[in-house]
Amino acid sequence: MTARILVVEDNPLNLKLVRDVLEIAGHHVVEACSGEEALRIAQDAAPDLVLMDLQLPGMDGTETMRKLRQGLLEDDTPVVAVTAFAMAEDRERVAQAGFDGHIAKPISVRELPDLVTGYLTKGGRGDG
Amino acid sequence: MTTPARRASMTAPIARDREIQDAREQLAASREILAALARDVADPGVVLETVLEYAARLCGAVAAQLFLLDGDVFRISRVAGETPEEYRLHLLEHPIERNRLSTVGRAAEDKRTVQIPDVLADANYGRPDLQQLTGFRTLLSTPLILQDEVVGVVSVWRTDVAPFDARERALLEEFAVQGAIALRQVELMRALETRGFELSDKVAQLEALREVDEAVGSSLDLDEVLERIVSNAVRLTNLGFGDITLSTDGGSILEYDETSETFHARGTFGSSPALLEQLNAVTIDGDTMVGRCAQADQPLAIPDLAAVERDAFLDLVFEDGWRSVLAIPMLRSDTIIGVLVIRRRGTGEFPADVVEMLETFASQSALAIVNARLFRELETKSRELEIASKHKSEFLASMSHELRTPLNAVIGFSEVLLERMFGELNERQDEYLRDIWNSGRHLLQLLNEILDLSKVEAGKMVLESNTFSVSSALDYTLAMVRERASSHAIKMTVDVAADVGTIEADELRFKQVLLNLLSNAVKFTPDGGSVSVRAYREATDLVVTVTDTGVGVPVEDQQRIFESFQQGHRGPAKEEGTGLGLTLSKRIVGLFGGRMWLDSTVGKGSTFGFSIPMAPAGTVEIPEGGDGIPVVVLVEDDRASLDLMSAYLDGSPIQVASATDGAQALELIRGALPAAVVLDLHLPVVDGWQVLAELKAGADTAGIPVIVASVVDERQRGLALGANAYLVKPVSRDELVDALQSVGVLS
Repeated sequence: MTARILVVEDNPLNLKLVRDVLEIAGHHVVEACSGEEALRIAQDAAPDLVLMDLQLPGMDGTETMRKLRQGLLEDDTPVVAVTAFAMAEDRERVAQAGFDGHIAKPISVRELPDLVTGYLTKGGRGDG
Repeated sequence: MTTPARRASMTAPIARDREIQDAREQLAASREILAALARDVADPGVVLETVLEYAARLCGAVAAQLFLLDGDVFRISRVAGETPEEYRLHLLEHPIERNRLSTVGRAAEDKRTVQIPDVLADANYGRPDLQQLTGFRTLLSTPLILQDEVVGVVSVWRTDVAPFDARERALLEEFAVQGAIALRQVELMRALETRGFELSDKVAQLEALREVDEAVGSSLDLDEVLERIVSNAVRLTNLGFGDITLSTDGGSILEYDETSETFHARGTFGSSPALLEQLNAVTIDGDTMVGRCAQADQPLAIPDLAAVERDAFLDLVFEDGWRSVLAIPMLRSDTIIGVLVIRRRGTGEFPADVVEMLETFASQSALAIVNARLFRELETKSRELEIASKHKSEFLASMSHELRTPLNAVIGFSEVLLERMFGELNERQDEYLRDIWNSGRHLLQLLNEILDLSKVEAGKMVLESNTFSVSSALDYTLAMVRERASSHAIKMTVDVAADVGTIEADELRFKQVLLNLLSNAVKFTPDGGSVSVRAYREATDLVVTVTDTGVGVPVEDQQRIFESFQQGHRGPAKEEGTGLGLTLSKRIVGLFGGRMWLDSTVGKGSTFGFSIPMAPAGTVEIPEGGDGIPVVVLVEDDRASLDLMSAYLDGSPIQVASATDGAQALELIRGALPAAVVLDLHLPVVDGWQVLAELKAGADTAGIPVIVASVVDERQRGLALGANAYLVKPVSRDELVDALQSVGVLS
């Protein structure tokens, strides 16, 4: 399946890596380098899935996610946190903040396409 | 004076009257002597004079003398009756020797009463000089005996030849006994009084020193400590001068500053603000009296300031109305610490005993200052260390983030290529990309472990307890190394005892420790070997062991292997380790309240094991100190040491409670307020130094004796920070018991 995926990531190398892997998997990638940029382009991009880095300069990932949810995304578009915090407490925090899921950094090139497919086929938010 | 002797030869009734009269007089004499004894205990003269007067009168003698033995001669002590003054003066210059030339000498030698009816008729009498001065003819002497020793002689004489009769001799002997008793009592009273004075001096001195000790021991600032030292020194001086008003003297400690080579007033007592201000304004250097005293390491007294040439310091003191000064050097191992200066309003020499007392005092005070300085330095250092440690943690946190991001790119892009996402690779390309990928993973792991370790060390690693199945956790972790194991034909077995169900602990950290042990085992086991994992219960602990058939760890490396960046000599590893894994694992197990160990035989293999409580660490059961049984808290993160110390105290009349990390220890101690704490220094979460500092800073806990037990010998630091005893591990049973006795917990 092919999906439109909004990737919010401030580090250009990481952004490039995620983009390449997802594009090879057949997805269309829209890039945003900051939370602010994500908010600007979200409506036009109309993504099926958002991958959100948590540590962003300026507006952080959690806040960006909350703002996106206020009408800039379709109601059933999942927003998944991408973070280097791998501890249980971090996963808990991410879930409590309202993300639909969590992908740990460093991302596994082999596993990323499958993870993304998983979120896309869950049929939207709520059961992640 | 009439002599009763002659009247005794009169008729019977008169004789009886005489006897009654004598008895009355004797009684009166005895009473008077006793009264004198009671009244004038401090003055032997009065008592002895009373004795002599009655002796002369009742024996019908012209005069009576008391001689006291002084070395080999008898010196005249008291006289009564008609004794020519030149006789007394002559006797002072020519005392009576202890020989048979005189009645005094003979009485002393024979230890009995001796009479010479007529000295002029006695060929052996050898002191004609005395006879010529007095004209005596009949002499009677009797010894004063104390504890079988002759201490003196009482003599009476008559100027006519009229021997003393038996009754008179008996009377004189009676007086001699009373005199001896008087002497003895006077001696005793004097000794007692001297001792009393000495004691009260000693008590005052000890009290002053104790006060200083207390001041030094408390966390008062140095100025306050010095002030107490000075006020106590002044008090002692006052006592030394017999002045109990404590109002006339003043003093100060002039602390030596090595950099500027000058002295500065620190602690002061009885000094006006004006004087203080002036003391601070003037430069007191080595050329002043203060400086000379310190350099010579000798007390220096100036009994009259008006009579000497005054330096800048002395001038100030003089202008302020002080008239005499005593300076006592304060040195510590030949280093000048300062000078203690005592000032008096009056002039006069400082008594030698006062100077001596103050010297003792000054050396104690020097120690106090050195300790206070040490304490101050330690505090500053601890603060600096704390800040440095905080900076280190912050640096590591930010560095790990900054390093991780590019590492993720290295790992990710090499993975993209290895996955052939952009086409086929030749063998070399594939090999090199694998090297890049492996190195990247390795660096990342190292980074994570450094960060974890720094978290543990900063006491910032927070454990998140949840209940999970032990066997599921084992399966999960085994799955992570199974692939690598099978590629080296290493057989893996798991044996989980039936009674091991779930455990309450931090699951992620538990798996981290397990994974570390498992991947090490696989790493160091040759192809075709085996790795077996066992899990079982032991009392309230869960025990997990990982046994491999690897090369084993030599005994000399078995401790070292748990230290950072020490992989030990375990033969060629299939891949490089970080050298931090075991250190981190051991620390994490410590956080769990458990311990980790290694059993290994070179050539056969190794078993790494760890045990953790099935119930989570961190919940503290506060013992009730009921039944008056003292509670002793053992703070120790190493389970084996803790068990050993508990075993040492088995059977002692105390209740033992334990804590395995610093935070737990503080909670426990604050709750239980135990009779004593035995504290390890190397502790997870909050380290032992911090625990010690916090206990000593707490109003409720400052008084609890702390016995430090540590592998590092930092006794000075420990004692300076308020520890009551410092034991260096390994600690024997006797050492522990002695230490607990020394703080009054065990008797």
